[in-house]
Amino acid sequence: MAKELRQIAIYGKGGIGKSTTTQNLTAGLVEQGKKVMIVGCDPKADSTRLLLGGLAQKTVLDTLREIGEDIDLDDILKEGYKGTRCVESGGPEPGVGCAGRGIITSIGLLERLGAYTEDLDYVFYDVLGDVVCGGFAMPIREGKAKEIYIVASGEMMALYAANNISKGIARYAKQGGVRLGGIICNSRNVDREIELVRAFAEELGTQLIHFVPRDNEVQRAEIRKKTVIEHKPDCNQADEYRELARRIEENTQFVIPKPLTQERLEEILLEYGLLDGIENDYRI
Amino acid sequence: MGKKTINLSMSECNNREMRIGSIISWDGKASELVEASNYEQRSRHEKKHGCNGGGGKACQLCELNMPFSQQTMCANAIVACQIGNLTDCILIEHAPIGCSANNIKYNISFNIGLARRGKAPQTVNILNTNLLENDMVFGASDKLRRTIDDAYNRYHPKAIFISMSCSTAIIGEDIDSIADEKEAEIGIPVVPLHCEGFRSKHWSTGFDISQHGVARQIVNKNPVKQKDLINIVALWGTDYFTDLLKPLGLRVNYLLDMASYDELHQASEAVATATFCHTLGSYLATALEEHYDVPQVNAPQPYGIPATDEWLRAIAKIVGKEEITEKYIESEHKRIQPKIDELREKLKGLKGAVFTGSAYAHGLICVLRELGIEVQGSIVFHHDPVYDSGQDRQNSLKYLVDNYGDVEYFTVSKTQPFQVYNILQRMETDFIIIRHGGLAPVAAKLGVPSLPMGDEHFPLGYDGIIRLGNVILDIVARHKFDDVLSRHTTLGYTDWWLSQKDPFILAHNPDIINEPIHELNGGKYDG
Repeated sequence: MAKELRQIAIYGKGGIGKSTTTQNLTAGLVEQGKKVMIVGCDPKADSTRLLLGGLAQKTVLDTLREIGEDIDLDDILKEGYKGTRCVESGGPEPGVGCAGRGIITSIGLLERLGAYTEDLDYVFYDVLGDVVCGGFAMPIREGKAKEIYIVASGEMMALYAANNISKGIARYAKQGGVRLGGIICNSRNVDREIELVRAFAEELGTQLIHFVPRDNEVQRAEIRKKTVIEHKPDCNQADEYRELARRIEENTQFVIPKPLTQERLEEILLEYGLLDGIENDYRI
Repeated sequence: MGKKTINLSMSECNNREMRIGSIISWDGKASELVEASNYEQRSRHEKKHGCNGGGGKACQLCELNMPFSQQTMCANAIVACQIGNLTDCILIEHAPIGCSANNIKYNISFNIGLARRGKAPQTVNILNTNLLENDMVFGASDKLRRTIDDAYNRYHPKAIFISMSCSTAIIGEDIDSIADEKEAEIGIPVVPLHCEGFRSKHWSTGFDISQHGVARQIVNKNPVKQKDLINIVALWGTDYFTDLLKPLGLRVNYLLDMASYDELHQASEAVATATFCHTLGSYLATALEEHYDVPQVNAPQPYGIPATDEWLRAIAKIVGKEEITEKYIESEHKRIQPKIDELREKLKGLKGAVFTGSAYAHGLICVLRELGIEVQGSIVFHHDPVYDSGQDRQNSLKYLVDNYGDVEYFTVSKTQPFQVYNILQRMETDFIIIRHGGLAPVAAKLGVPSLPMGDEHFPLGYDGIIRLGNVILDIVARHKFDDVLSRHTTLGYTDWWLSQKDPFILAHNPDIINEPIHELNGGKYDG
């Protein structure tokens, strides 16, 4: 019997670290022998850089534009770290056309070209932070990704975005089987961050699946175009990503989120002391 | 000249519902709609709180909010049947090919129109950029540029128009910049038309968009007056206006269908602008008046004897031909009266109903009543509480009510066959007059014959009264066909719907739309 493919979409506020987290997490999974494909769904096309050792790849949409419909899977799918399959959807030139429709086109093309092979364990969709239109919700519609993880931090705007994304998930959950698997906290070292994000996750009806601490090893690895696991397999941060991978692998808690009202969201922020103490805040 | 209401410096024209408060769903007596429309106050652009013109011209009437539409047209389709029906210009539909599906039909109406006006037959002048999925993703500006070049090189048109579709509007295709760029390059007007289907709730905004483009970029900006030229804003109707206006020494310049570039170009040189229907003509007439000093005719539409008299007198005043016109009117009365008397005798006891476009229906009802035919009800496809001109004598619904009496069942609804059933149930009628084919089958299945008024100029002026009377005799003479049909056919609606008295029950109880059919048949919402 064929094993069940888990299709996972990673959402979160722009700049929160979705791509970095997804790729490091993927490195943790492939280390365990899992077969993973990453589909970058961001016109900036930087979702696979760490796995490929640079922006080595032509995007699906660039290829479509330049070569046309008659393309092979090899033209758009590159193998990266330990056989990870990497695809970047890409987008039109800024200011023209429709990037959202481009995601739909790209995923449709991947299906036609047979990218979803039976040996895959995971497909990750790394989606543009701001779900600006229906196209960017594509990975969670039409039976693609059934699991969502939201990357957030203790910063207000990150939680605000996570709450909005939950509204979208709740909407599509009614039609299809999409469920929220948890919140990944990518720490920004704000006050009482783990308590805040855990409280927020519980309020949504989900879990804080893992707290990834802030560590400069991540940046050092990024400069070298590598995941932390590849760059420095023995460091603490590599173990954090391995732990995240393990928790996702073993996760059984999939829920329809219950988005918070704006008032409730602000109450939680106040409760965890983020909004008092502003006068003592010397961060720049 | 007062403040301009039509801004030709913008490439987009305002939607009809924003500009003049047009509505698409309403039900009541015609007199109530006259009162609610508050034409006079709206025409002064006054602001007042509440309904009945509160918020000035743009305020909408208290409109029924229908949660369901069986079918409709859109502004993009109207642009195709206006601009695509010019003889020596090209319309490029910047759209997926489906937006051009109507063009087969428009090719037929175009050729019928050409024949009526004595012009040579030709194919409709419409190209389509045939946008596919990748064009949506990457943008299709280059495809549009190429199509403009192809249109210019293959057909040597006098002007090229570009129409926006829903899809190109969503991805923000910059047709204005491309039009500017190509106009400078090829040296003929290239006119962007912002007519994406979803922008307005009523298709008649498409007339305004077409006329806006013509007034803005085609008409002569340095006009030399032609003292014997009158613009008639029309569709595909037979040229009855020439005969009607010949005694006043006027030549007719028909706009827009079947017109050539030169005919559009000289619109600013005419002595006046009139129309067979204010719904259609008011925007262009007002634009020409405000921007090129071509006065419009402040009179009722020329349907029925008194309105035709008044219409001719208003034109006579503009061109200084009052004396000749009075004699003409007098002789026409003498000529037609015996025929009209004869028709009234033959038509005695008949009842009719009119299901057509807005201002045109007002005129048709006048003619029917002039012939002694009783009219209990009408459907108009939208209602403009005021026209762009705001001129007092153009208030066509008020004219009808004041001069020919109220219309008991006056319904505003855009060509919804499912409502035709209930509407016909509550009135008595021996025939209906339509201009949109989809309404005839419902009536036929109920044994009511339809007069499909393909030639919209048919009931116009003095002779139009006679023409209409004669054709109605023909129509009711073949009622047996509809009788037989009604005995052997059924309508495809549920028993529940067929038992409804209120054609707008879905607006009055919007929850119905979520009810299962068996609940409805169980009598839960019986009217």
